[in-house]
Amino acid sequence: MKRFALYLALTLFAIGLLAQGAFARWTSEMKEGKAEFKSMGPLTFGPDGILFVADTKAAAIVAIATGDTKRATGANLLKVEGINQKIAALLGTTADQILIEDLAINPISQNAYLAVSRGRGPDAVPVLVRVKADSQMEVVSLDKVKFSRAELPDAPADAMAGQGNRQSNPRRESITDIGFLNGRLFVAGLANEEFASTLRAVPFPFKTVANGTSVEIYHGAHGQFETRAPVRTFATFKIGKEDHLLAAYTCTPLVQFPVSELTPGAKIKGKTIAELGNRNRPLDMIVYQKDGKTYLLMANSSRGVMKISTEQIDKAESITARVADKQGLPYETIASWTGVDHLDRLDSKHVVVLRRAEGGSLNLESLPLP
Amino acid sequence: MMTRIFKRMFNAKGQRIKGTRKRLRLFLIVLLCSFVPLTLCVEKTQSSAAWQSQFSIRWTSDPANSSKVAIEVSGLSDATIKRLQQANWKPPQWQRLLSVYAGQGNDPNLPPMLGAYRVQSGALRFEPQFPLEPGVAYRAVFRPDQLPGASGSKAAPITADFQLPPRNATPTTVVSHIYPSASLLPENLLKFYVHFSAPMSRGRIYNYIHLRDEAGKEVELPFLEIDEELWDPAMTRLTLIIDPGRIKRGVLPLEDIGPALEAGKSYTLVIARECRDGAGNPLKEDFQKAFQVRPPDREPLDHTRWQIQPPKAGARDALAVTFTKPMDHALAQRVISVTTESGGVIEGKVELEDQERRWVFVPDSPWRRGQYKLVIQTTIEDLAGNNIGKPFEVDLFEGVQRRLASPTVKLSFEIL
Repeated sequence: MKRFALYLALTLFAIGLLAQGAFARWTSEMKEGKAEFKSMGPLTFGPDGILFVADTKAAAIVAIATGDTKRATGANLLKVEGINQKIAALLGTTADQILIEDLAINPISQNAYLAVSRGRGPDAVPVLVRVKADSQMEVVSLDKVKFSRAELPDAPADAMAGQGNRQSNPRRESITDIGFLNGRLFVAGLANEEFASTLRAVPFPFKTVANGTSVEIYHGAHGQFETRAPVRTFATFKIGKEDHLLAAYTCTPLVQFPVSELTPGAKIKGKTIAELGNRNRPLDMIVYQKDGKTYLLMANSSRGVMKISTEQIDKAESITARVADKQGLPYETIASWTGVDHLDRLDSKHVVVLRRAEGGSLNLESLPLP
Repeated sequence: MMTRIFKRMFNAKGQRIKGTRKRLRLFLIVLLCSFVPLTLCVEKTQSSAAWQSQFSIRWTSDPANSSKVAIEVSGLSDATIKRLQQANWKPPQWQRLLSVYAGQGNDPNLPPMLGAYRVQSGALRFEPQFPLEPGVAYRAVFRPDQLPGASGSKAAPITADFQLPPRNATPTTVVSHIYPSASLLPENLLKFYVHFSAPMSRGRIYNYIHLRDEAGKEVELPFLEIDEELWDPAMTRLTLIIDPGRIKRGVLPLEDIGPALEAGKSYTLVIARECRDGAGNPLKEDFQKAFQVRPPDREPLDHTRWQIQPPKAGARDALAVTFTKPMDHALAQRVISVTTESGGVIEGKVELEDQERRWVFVPDSPWRRGQYKLVIQTTIEDLAGNNIGKPFEVDLFEGVQRRLASPTVKLSFEIL
């Protein structure tokens, strides 16, 4: 019995050490202090409660060790009606001065994190808001956190050759979505000057090399023509045993890229596997499993949320010819889920959505996965 | 009732009527009962009044920044101050004692503002985490019954309202320019740049931008609508990208709803005055840019056909470069530079003239004799997104690494 207890204690100790080691692996490059932001855009969670926040104005991604690593107990269905009004009240302003830029659920604690802009003008203040399991809200203090930062290359360079007297560089690159997979953070963006959309992979933990952050950049191509159209949202997805990025472009074709092909110097060609109809902008997308099958759930601008079957995805032919409206993977529209701007998976059975209600109100709701 | 009992107890002469002992007892009981609530009521009023008069709420502004305001509650006894200092409360407990609501706190479902609580100089102080907004009504609510040791007290809350003067609501911001400046634009036009005279606010800009055909009919969804909106950092320039699916072959939307612009037709781009500037005010007026559409331009840029007009040495005269066609305004300003033969950068100011057909550079210092180079990044675009050596629609699959440096081409010229 004593020996058993000793083995148990040693095993637990070893597990503790391993867990600590795994956590240290992600946070070893981080420093503790105040994480500064000029703006907060797309959010995504990585391992061990690490939250990635895209700062478009600063052309940077910041990884924050939230320390929010206490596993959720039971199903806490988050629900906050009029969340924009409540956030406005917390921040001492009016609801029309609040923009909720993105939503991400911490897969460990199942707390929701919202990137919020207090104000709409150039002096807007970015704020990170957490909705806890009891649906109470709080502002996450970033004054003393462990964090690391990756500056994106091609960032606005004020010292353009020959233009030293210009006050500021008006170029900026919008970050439309970010996603973490196997030690790499994927970043989709679009510039406001030259027409170039980019898909970058930033190895994490972020490493600084001599000429800046080590970043690989890809220009995705889809269909028969290289459109340079921006990726609006994407999800990571396994087809067979291989990881893929499934990207939704602004004109809603769904394009898949094998992640293994995203290597520096490689010529990548995405495969268009679905056209989801026009007059429709994709907004946000998740992957989930139900009854042994895998689905995509896509919020979009003009219809209810789309549930897309992936059953035939490995056999899908690339769409290269012109199509009249819809083609490729079959989907159904969940018409009752109207006004959904953002969504993220809460647990194996629920999704959290941010949806527009009447009168300009925004509601945070937990809904059963369809 | 008491008068009736009294009359039954005494005769007209005021002598007590026999058998009225019970009535006297009843009279005394009723009299007592009628006084008790009155006494309690007076007590409550006096107590509340005493508390009310004891405490006061003061809004104090930072002289250096009027929107940085703090709230101070004074009138706390030394004992109460000491208890508050030792309370070690969490934010919800402080908020129960003193809260500040934006919008006067009329909605009980809305939480109070976030901020820091301090007990100092004999007062309770609340410093909001965020500055107050002009024109928004704020209400501070102090609840004395939540003070340590005041349990059971029925003291009513004390409130104090505050409002910063609203911003000037007179519309002054205008659209100062829309690029391209030309009024004849290619069918495969890629972008508009809308310049405003003051910083704007974002969040719903596409609602106020309309592209109308010659019949005044709205062109449906002509632009890429990016949630974040493509503003420059100063928020005085908005980039509108025409949905590439509406200007290219083979991509879906073109098939169904046709191109956004068609050659031979006229259009008007309207920026409605309802869009809001950074102060929340509408524009002074609508802005309209009328233009006609010419056939698509699918020619790559050929920089070797550009004409360079070098100035003379010894002065700061302008160096002018004439393009073969109008260029993208933002890129032509940013991606062309002048260097010496050895690569030393010449500092100066750039302007675009003649509807973005001419690039004009005035150096900060007088020109010296010698060989110079015009260095052009190949990412420069014409109005249709064609680059140097690459038309917009070429089927390229470039997965290669792109780092900070983008390829450049050079044109040499001499200053005599």
